[in-house]
Amino acid sequence: MIIEKSSEWKEGFIKRLENHESWDNWTLYNMSYDVVKDNLITDFSGLQSPKYLPNLTPLAHQLEVAETVIQRMNGKAILADEVGLGKTIEAGLILKEYLIRGLVKKALILAPASLINQWIEELNYKFYIPAMPYKKNYNLDQCNVVVMSMDTAKKSPHKERIYEQDFDMIIIDEAHKLKNHKTKNYEFVQSLKKKFCLLLTATPIQNDVFELFYLISLLKPGHLGNYETFQASFSASKHDWEHDDHLKELVNQVMVRNRRQDTGIEWTTRRVQTISIDFTKEEREVYDMILELKNVSPVFSSAFSMITLQKEMCSSKEATYLTLNEMRKKCTEPEVVQYVDEIVQKMMALEINSKAQKAYEIIEKADDKVIIFTEYRASQAYLQWYLYTKGITSVLFNGKFKNSKRDWMKQLFKDQAQVLIATESGGEGINLQFCHHVINYDLPWNPMKLEQRIGRVHRLGQEHDVHVYNLAIQHTIEEDILALLYVKIDVFEKAVGDLDNILSSLKESI
Amino acid sequence: MYPQQIHGYLLKFFKENNCQIMKDNGHYLTTQLTIEMDKKIMNRPFYWKYLENTDGVPSPAQLTLITDQNRLDEEVKGEVVHFGSPRLNQLFQTTKELGAFVQMYERVTNKLTGQTILTPWLGVNYKVSYYSDQTKEMLHSLGINLIHGRIVEGFQEWLSEVDLDSTMSADAFALTSIIKPVRGLERLDAAIEKFINEDDRTWAEEAKVRWQKDREVLEHFYKDVENKPECYEMEKQAMDEQYEAKIKIEIINGGLFYMKSS
Repeated sequence: MIIEKSSEWKEGFIKRLENHESWDNWTLYNMSYDVVKDNLITDFSGLQSPKYLPNLTPLAHQLEVAETVIQRMNGKAILADEVGLGKTIEAGLILKEYLIRGLVKKALILAPASLINQWIEELNYKFYIPAMPYKKNYNLDQCNVVVMSMDTAKKSPHKERIYEQDFDMIIIDEAHKLKNHKTKNYEFVQSLKKKFCLLLTATPIQNDVFELFYLISLLKPGHLGNYETFQASFSASKHDWEHDDHLKELVNQVMVRNRRQDTGIEWTTRRVQTISIDFTKEEREVYDMILELKNVSPVFSSAFSMITLQKEMCSSKEATYLTLNEMRKKCTEPEVVQYVDEIVQKMMALEINSKAQKAYEIIEKADDKVIIFTEYRASQAYLQWYLYTKGITSVLFNGKFKNSKRDWMKQLFKDQAQVLIATESGGEGINLQFCHHVINYDLPWNPMKLEQRIGRVHRLGQEHDVHVYNLAIQHTIEEDILALLYVKIDVFEKAVGDLDNILSSLKESI
Repeated sequence: MYPQQIHGYLLKFFKENNCQIMKDNGHYLTTQLTIEMDKKIMNRPFYWKYLENTDGVPSPAQLTLITDQNRLDEEVKGEVVHFGSPRLNQLFQTTKELGAFVQMYERVTNKLTGQTILTPWLGVNYKVSYYSDQTKEMLHSLGINLIHGRIVEGFQEWLSEVDLDSTMSADAFALTSIIKPVRGLERLDAAIEKFINEDDRTWAEEAKVRWQKDREVLEHFYKDVENKPECYEMEKQAMDEQYEAKIKIEIINGGLFYMKSS
């Protein structure tokens, strides 16, 4: 066994014996002994960190997670609490504990760029951990706890500089971004030394069970077997397998997940409605003409662009126009161009957007702050204009905003405007507990995106019931999306555990 | 440590270091630092360098520390100090530096017996830490009689019963050590190591089991891979560092003690 000791004290003692230096003060001697005695970590188990954090009152489930991760999972885990239960607090508690116990000296936190400031603030003010944001000219030798964006970290020369360091702990926020093992992100994290490692994500499965396999293989290669054995035992078909319970048990050895209802906190209710909308006769005509495009010209033969056009048409003519116009440029035959022009003409003549109208009705009825999520920037702009004509004030929000602008927009929404219109990427990390209505104007393919959106509002600190409105236009692609969302939710629940309502229950909506 | 305890600690610390207490309200205090203390804790080397180079008049800082924010009803500008705050940690560290080595004599008051003979002892406070992926710490206070070599445990507690002074009383006589203090230190070091070797090692065994379990999982993952990738070695190394059992011995402080009892 390795025994470390230093001769520093002995050298100082000899200097005093030889009268080279003077002896110290007796009271300070006793004070020093008492401090060490009082701060002694007398047990391998149990948490020391809470007593060092007088300004933080962790919730019971957060303390439990910290203890479980340290004692049962040996400091390597996926923290997968539902959105809004304080995964950052849990990670902070665990990091603090290891810092106090001297097991971690250097830690690296990887987070989306928009969340870096939030991490720095929480670690510094809530945990007294002197974390700093990474700057290009910093010498990493001197940064003990550093926060940087994954996008920066995976690139040269930063990547190499990180590999040179000996980090004891790696924390990765929004770890579902590592679901694809063929990405640079994944490769980068795979090559990092991970002594203690936390992966934070509310949504460890977004589409299929292999995402979970790859995430866990990053944390603990082999825990779910290798790819072949995993595939053989768990994926007879992508969405259906026999060993649910066995898989769940294995997963639970490396993952902690609290659901809102397990926390012992009174949660407000989530009221989810799927609202079916009928196109007007004119809208339907345009939609059907778009569907017909694939038979008109090979330019429209790709399934991807056809799906995009259909989805866009379910959102707004403005969104559709941009894509359609781009594709029109590729058409050479005059009759095709003519057909497209006809669509455009009919589309531009549309006076009613049935979905926007429905959204307006909901806002009117709610008579309260509302967030609208759309997938398209063009629809975002249209909605702002449309609501303006109805006398409703709104602010826009998207992921490209800098931190200061995000804060400013959030404040504007809180103080001045009734509606916040956000695009998908704008949803991450912003907390809007003062709002209780969420309209999913467009549906994403991925149910976890819906969960992330709802989580902006339905999180700790929300005092009212939260109303979620999922808008879907009948007899369009949105019905297919809805059906697929139900399948994916089912996959998640089989491998990970139940989910809070994202969609209204299946029976109601069909 | 509760706010009152911290407050008491700070008062004592600054007084012992000759920093005048300008104001003390029980929940916050203002102290005038000495030049030495300013250099030690205020982290402004450039100021002091500048002053030395320009022969300026030194103006050490005044420091206001708030120990109980909840009881603060007036506007006070100062640093909030609590258990776990960087400032308090720094002062703990400074205390450790400034109270590391002592030489103390038992006070002798009884003049009837003539000259009192004082026996030399070496006392050392050790902190022993066990590390794997978990930690545990122990404190051992050992003393060795430098005349005949007897070693006692709980030395610090014993000292707290004795009336000690940094100078020897006039009518006391200190024996010269037969065992040299440095040799005494070596014997205490050996005693600590003996204790460690005889102590329960279950914690290290258990860490080893956890280690092996993780290793097996990893090996299984790469079982059929012929040319193992770099990250395989990386994972292995990370496991070694995570679970390897280590013991750290640290001396908190210690010194020479001349006492009546032997």
